[in-house]
Amino acid sequence: MRWPGAWKNPAALDILKGTAIDYLLIGKGQEYAAVRERARQIGLHLAESDAAPPGVEIVKGEWPGVKMARGSDEVTGGPTGVPWVDSNGWAIRLALAFHPTADVWVDVAPAEKTVITADAYQVAVADSAAYGGRWIISLDHPLAESLMAGQAEALAIWKTMAATAGFFAARKEWAGYAPLAVMGVVSDFRGDNEFFSHELLNLLARAGAHYRILPKDGISAASFASLRAVTYTDAEPPSPALRKQVLEFVAGGGTLIAAPSWGAVEGRPLPVRADEIPRFSLSSVGNGKVALAKAAPDDPYMWAGATVVLVSHRYDLVRFWNGGATGSFCTVSPDGKQVIAHLLFYFSGGPDTATVQVAGRYRSVKASTVERPVLANVVVKQQPDAIEVHLPPVSQYVALQLQVST
Amino acid sequence: MRDLHTRREWLWKTASAVSGAYLANLKLARAAPAPTAPVSVARVKTYNPAELLPAMQKMFDQLGGLGRLVQGKTVAIKINLTGSPTYRLGHLPLEDTHFTHPHVIAAAAHLMSRAGARRIRVLESVWGTADPVEEFMLQANWEPNDILNAAPNVEFENTNFLGQAKKYSRMPVPFGGYIFPAFDLNHSYEDCDVFVSIAKLKEHSTAGVTLSMKNCFGLTPCTIYGTGSPVDGPSEVPKGGRNLIHEGNRQPSKGSPPEKDPTSPREETWRVPRAVVDLVAARPVHLAIVEGIKTMAGGEGPWAGTQPVEPGVIVAGLNPVNTDAVAMAVMNFDPMADRGTPPFEKCDSTLKLAEDVGIGARDLRRIEVVGTPIAAVRFDFAALRRQRQAAPPRIGLRG
Repeated sequence: MRWPGAWKNPAALDILKGTAIDYLLIGKGQEYAAVRERARQIGLHLAESDAAPPGVEIVKGEWPGVKMARGSDEVTGGPTGVPWVDSNGWAIRLALAFHPTADVWVDVAPAEKTVITADAYQVAVADSAAYGGRWIISLDHPLAESLMAGQAEALAIWKTMAATAGFFAARKEWAGYAPLAVMGVVSDFRGDNEFFSHELLNLLARAGAHYRILPKDGISAASFASLRAVTYTDAEPPSPALRKQVLEFVAGGGTLIAAPSWGAVEGRPLPVRADEIPRFSLSSVGNGKVALAKAAPDDPYMWAGATVVLVSHRYDLVRFWNGGATGSFCTVSPDGKQVIAHLLFYFSGGPDTATVQVAGRYRSVKASTVERPVLANVVVKQQPDAIEVHLPPVSQYVALQLQVST
Repeated sequence: MRDLHTRREWLWKTASAVSGAYLANLKLARAAPAPTAPVSVARVKTYNPAELLPAMQKMFDQLGGLGRLVQGKTVAIKINLTGSPTYRLGHLPLEDTHFTHPHVIAAAAHLMSRAGARRIRVLESVWGTADPVEEFMLQANWEPNDILNAAPNVEFENTNFLGQAKKYSRMPVPFGGYIFPAFDLNHSYEDCDVFVSIAKLKEHSTAGVTLSMKNCFGLTPCTIYGTGSPVDGPSEVPKGGRNLIHEGNRQPSKGSPPEKDPTSPREETWRVPRAVVDLVAARPVHLAIVEGIKTMAGGEGPWAGTQPVEPGVIVAGLNPVNTDAVAMAVMNFDPMADRGTPPFEKCDSTLKLAEDVGIGARDLRRIEVVGTPIAAVRFDFAALRRQRQAAPPRIGLRG
């Protein structure tokens, strides 16, 4: 937690009692000396407010949620008119891809001069924690002041936030589960490729795609396990070794969706309907196929949209109905027996009648929210290769714990 | 290409001639009795193909047989997939409430193929995207192969944008149009020999009812007629809905035919029924099928404050006005109703407007109903409507 600048009385630490908050980022000034001293006494870890502790990767994030148009109550639409959602999930996963043993903290403060609700704080905590990171709790100034004044409304917001952090802290083992993915994104994610590749990760997640991040200097045959497709958009051609690895994946039945920088494709041209994938030529290679863009990609949104179609919604891991602005992330336990589907609902208040479908065969499902560890009135419908869950009214986050059929 | 060119020329010439006649003497056109054709009604309780397929076969036989209509022809089927594929009425599957059910689409395609149709093209301007129809269906939890495999010659096209063609098809409104003199549509609506509208039996918040004619509202590509269409010309991909037609807040993208009279009323309850008639005149319906096995009451989609119902009925006919009139009667509405009378309390009647320009009759006394009598399948949407209107408005955070 980033310690509020106005909290100079050590008694303020009492608010942390019984919460999962165990680390304070606090100013080094003398005015906080008493707070620091007391914090150490009660077993909290301390770090300076502008320095990452060892073993921690800091991600500079966006305030998560549905983006509202400036100065109005209107929701900002994306290029398709669907609500524009900011999430830090992709950035956390990218940081973990490069630093798999690190703790990833997301640093983003609430915007000034806006009213931050309990729902918004729950989203802020859950949006990071669901993807294996931790949001550095940062209170807006009015909330910090109201809390010190003991105002009931502020305390209710605090309790929601603390309960959300506590929910994930009580399930630390979930952070060790492996992400489930349908496609892979291959890039070096740096230099000239940074903007496009980062934005692609962001937009693919927003489109509901479940992907594996594959830094191109660390790829092995195992990198492609269970994937149906990979996409390559870096400006420079792949190394011969990477090219060979990806083409082996394609020959085995996978799909490569590549920028022209990939180079020539030796395969049998496939007919392409002009209205379906107008910007790609398609070739059959081995048991798989290569979709090669006709022009260098300049719009990550278009690339994300085309990728989702080329992979096909047939292989969606998660489908939502009536969820509003949603996000999801699925992981599997090391023994393969349990899948966790993290479901995020970004509209304030959460959905009334959301339906969620998770691909796979499961023998049971338990739905949990921060408020209710076991959600009642959940209707489960088994489908041939998926499970459909009818949720009652829920708040901003639901975890589905799915027991895999053996 | 030569055939297509010839067909386009023919449409233009025919349209010009008819348009001239209507413009010259609209009163004469109104004086002539609007055409009629038989309408078949069937009680169908489930979507089980074992019940559905023979029932639909029988209905088509009652209409004179599909072969006469489709043999050797390219058939275009406009289905109704209104709204987002991720928006359900409660937890119910979309096909049980407001989407044309895939089994009905598959059964129609199967029977048409069996009757000798050369090519069967299933069309919809799916909401807010240029993605293939198949991808839209998958998001709705449908299996598109169930339709594609219903016959060996079935295909989809998303008509919400340019699609497979290099240019839009200019489709003139033969009688000159209430609002639009012509439309620029996806080529699929011109490049077909037979046009079929498979609709869902529903009320509509703007147009009173949505049946085989209102289904044609979705012919318009949102790249030209959509909220996000550029002023200067069509966009590459569609964005948003059709506020442009609903509210008339602006004209279609430049290059496409503008409204005849930009000073005409801007109220959607005036505009939508007229735009629908313009579309049905521009793209005549040869076979109208209104599916009401399971559907919803109170509106066209879950956003309209609705409830699921199971009327267990299909209505089909060779004239869309006749068919919609019978479907309205099945819903216990008076097809002769006009503005001010349910279900047209606040809007004009699409049926009356269509009848006025000679597309088809709505007077049940003039329409031959074959198969199950209307009284035997009547499902009282009108009573549900009265109950809703008498109920206090829903309030509360989750109202």
